[in-house]
Amino acid sequence: MTSHVKIRLASERVNHSVPTNRELPRFYTPGEVVTGMEDFMRGHGTYASDDCLKASVAGVMQKVNKLICVRPLKNRYVGEIGDVVVGRVLEVQQRRWKVETNSRLDSVLQLSSVNLPGGELRRRSAEDEQMMRKHLQEGDLISAEVQSVFSDGSLSLHTRSLKYGKLSQGILMKVFPSLIKRRKNHFHNLPCGISVIIGNNGYIWISPPEQNNLVEEEKDEIVNVEVQCISRSDRETMARVRNCIAALVASKMLLDDTSIMFAYEESLKYDNVKELLDPEAMLDVAFLTQHRINNVLEE
Amino acid sequence: MAGLLLSPTEKVFIVHGVQDDHRSDGRTNIDYRPMELETNVVSHATGSSRLRLANTDILVGVKTEIDVPTPEKPDLGKIEFYVDCSANAAPQFEGRGGEQLAIGIAKLMQAAYHSSDAFDLKQLCIFEGKQCWKIYVDILILECGGNLCDAVSMAVKAALFNTKLPSVKAALMDGGNIDLQLSDDPYDAKSLDIGTAPLLVTLCKIGDKCVVDPSAEEESCSVISVVVGVTGNPSSYSTEENVSDSAKESKFTTIEMVGSGSVAPKTLKDAMNQGMVAAKLLDKALGEALLRERQETQVKTKKHSYGFLR
Amino acid sequence: MPLDYRRFNGPEDSIPYKRFTKDFVKSYDELFKELLDDKGVRKDGRALSEARSMCMFFARADMVSQAKGSAYVELRKTKVVCSVFDPREIPHQNEFSELGQIFCEVKFAPFSCPRRRRPHAPDAEEKALSVALRKALEPSVCRHMFPNYQVDVFIYILENDGACLSAAINAAGLALADAAVPMYDIITSCTVAVIGDKMFVDPTEAEEYLATTNPDTPINHGLLTLSTLSELKQISDFIQIGSMDVVSVTNAMEVLEKECEKLVPLVQKVLVANVLKCFAQRKRLEEEANEREKALNSKMEEWKKLLNAG
Repeated sequence: MTSHVKIRLASERVNHSVPTNRELPRFYTPGEVVTGMEDFMRGHGTYASDDCLKASVAGVMQKVNKLICVRPLKNRYVGEIGDVVVGRVLEVQQRRWKVETNSRLDSVLQLSSVNLPGGELRRRSAEDEQMMRKHLQEGDLISAEVQSVFSDGSLSLHTRSLKYGKLSQGILMKVFPSLIKRRKNHFHNLPCGISVIIGNNGYIWISPPEQNNLVEEEKDEIVNVEVQCISRSDRETMARVRNCIAALVASKMLLDDTSIMFAYEESLKYDNVKELLDPEAMLDVAFLTQHRINNVLEE
Repeated sequence: MAGLLLSPTEKVFIVHGVQDDHRSDGRTNIDYRPMELETNVVSHATGSSRLRLANTDILVGVKTEIDVPTPEKPDLGKIEFYVDCSANAAPQFEGRGGEQLAIGIAKLMQAAYHSSDAFDLKQLCIFEGKQCWKIYVDILILECGGNLCDAVSMAVKAALFNTKLPSVKAALMDGGNIDLQLSDDPYDAKSLDIGTAPLLVTLCKIGDKCVVDPSAEEESCSVISVVVGVTGNPSSYSTEENVSDSAKESKFTTIEMVGSGSVAPKTLKDAMNQGMVAAKLLDKALGEALLRERQETQVKTKKHSYGFLR
Repeated sequence: MPLDYRRFNGPEDSIPYKRFTKDFVKSYDELFKELLDDKGVRKDGRALSEARSMCMFFARADMVSQAKGSAYVELRKTKVVCSVFDPREIPHQNEFSELGQIFCEVKFAPFSCPRRRRPHAPDAEEKALSVALRKALEPSVCRHMFPNYQVDVFIYILENDGACLSAAINAAGLALADAAVPMYDIITSCTVAVIGDKMFVDPTEAEEYLATTNPDTPINHGLLTLSTLSELKQISDFIQIGSMDVVSVTNAMEVLEKECEKLVPLVQKVLVANVLKCFAQRKRLEEEANEREKALNSKMEEWKKLLNAG
């Protein structure tokens, strides 16, 4: 893409699907009988009627011992304890923040589950309550861990670790949560020199490496970091990673640090980052990435 | 578009990126996102087109009817624009939610097509003072992902390119009334002359600089944008090599400011120049795409229509 | 056009009698020749670059006694009344808006236009003017001072002889200042009509009409309105319609900027005069009150004396 404008025709549309050597699983549609009732447990995405277990969403069946779930392809995020999420503060309330995390209900970050500036462990005073908006205000992005799940399915988050907390400059991408591969670690410093937080909820945060999450330091310094200009090369790398993730998502490929890194390496043959916006280039990158993953799996 | 929440630091990142001429997805300030275009997608319309620009999805249908010209301008036809913001695009468009936005875009289009340099209404005249064609351009916004004006104007131009008016075989005077006889043959029709039809370019002011084709995130970083309408170049839209018209210079047909902020005079002038450059590129690319599609349909006897299925 | 059925609407298809006069059939060239005489002087005796405001700017603030602030602007035959009312809570809104809103309504008197009688129901032009007015005023008002409140600005155009938008903006700026609505800067506005290489500053209705009609030859034509915040050196709104090349637009912009600059001292004078008048009035009232009190006091003394004596 050398010109500044590119218009393609519908007949030149690119099919983003990448061939895999995996077998296609059986799909269920809502209302379809999954199995008889006898000694099975009803899980998410199913309901019981007429002694049968029926699917309530369109998706694939998952069986864990006796528990039967139907997982939809495009679901909102269903939280589990210990998940790493990226979320956006929507509202400052009494002693807690409302956080949007792509799950069915808004999540909650209690004032008691954040590390406050100035000390490791101390009581939350009335001043802290009044200072809440100074700490996190509407629109701010945070990374956090799921502390517990309420009975209605909404999540309670915590940021009581140095790696969690308010996010500074960077790019947020929203993808389907089902495309995120569950890993031990979701904070990655990629070899290309930028860091990525792959939230389990499908929110991916791309940021420059020297990002400073230590809220404990002096306030002035933090403000400095927040308005600092990011170097051109970092910016380019971030944009490239962003476009690579977009390419993988367009081809519905699972995201983790390996696939992102593979895609990044494959994308290097395109000199200009904006060439990766082209559907052909996106498909090419996704295809090559899949190829490499297959090779690794075979080994 | 309101409703998108961004943190102050994200905004700083975007603003610095624009300053650096390197945006979040690697584009420079004058790059458009890739677009996809298809014409002749609605069978009951005289002409139609669908344009997808990243997440923005526009469907345009053109209907032609016969009307009486206004007494002030007996030799001119009529063209009218209507925009419908479907609630499919965003839940806040439900009911009358999208009305303000729709009226704003329709007004901009009407203003851009006002001058005869942009669109010659004389070609719509059937019988001077008695009958003329009236073109209804209905614009449907199916999905909204930033930069509506540009996408709408391109889709409209493509739909008008696709529009064919049936040729009038005879006009009989019947005691002051006109009786028209139109050709039954669907291939006996003339295309509209839309080479000069204007395209709108939105220049979103972020920091001190202006960018074209802002994403929704970028739009929420800006308080004011300048929309310019620029006439097209007819030579990009015809296969014949008549160079006589190609010397025609691009002109502004409308300029307007959108948003609640204000700009410095110099920024405004820069934005206008930048818009002129962008519009020329856009016009050329659109012409190429339309001609390519026309050629494809001519080669294949039956056109494979993609429509809304993927 | 939607009709207001609550009123008696008269016969729908009535036409102005001017249609049958000789003026109506005049060609473009004839009309153009009429605008200027041989020496390049306009019909009303002005030079091309001479604004009406320069020779006859007649404005006063505090025109409607019941409004919080009001103004009247007269540019020869263009007469505009504006009234501004106290901020009030935004009706039918459930979301908190951090910035105050400005609600504008522009209305033409039914008899205001030379060509056709205006219907009572708001038409597209009135709506467009209202939006343009709001856009122009928004950057000049300190809207953060009254969050969740709106200020109403009503414009009534008594007579329209061109440049009604800039007259409305000037009047609204005066009225807002008169109503003591906090403002960043004085807002001034001017219009220019371009036909070919001639620029009609502050055009009359006839000049405006010709500038927006399509000429027979492709020459620059168009109508531009610019409003500025002079102290901040910012442009709060810029609207162009017609067909003009870059050079022509840039030249017109420079002319407009200068004209807007010239208006500032005049507006300031009107405002100062108004304050002085109010001040003088208050002083007079105070003096009268003092006198009355003195008279009363002396009478009381008399009575006291009488009582004591009695």
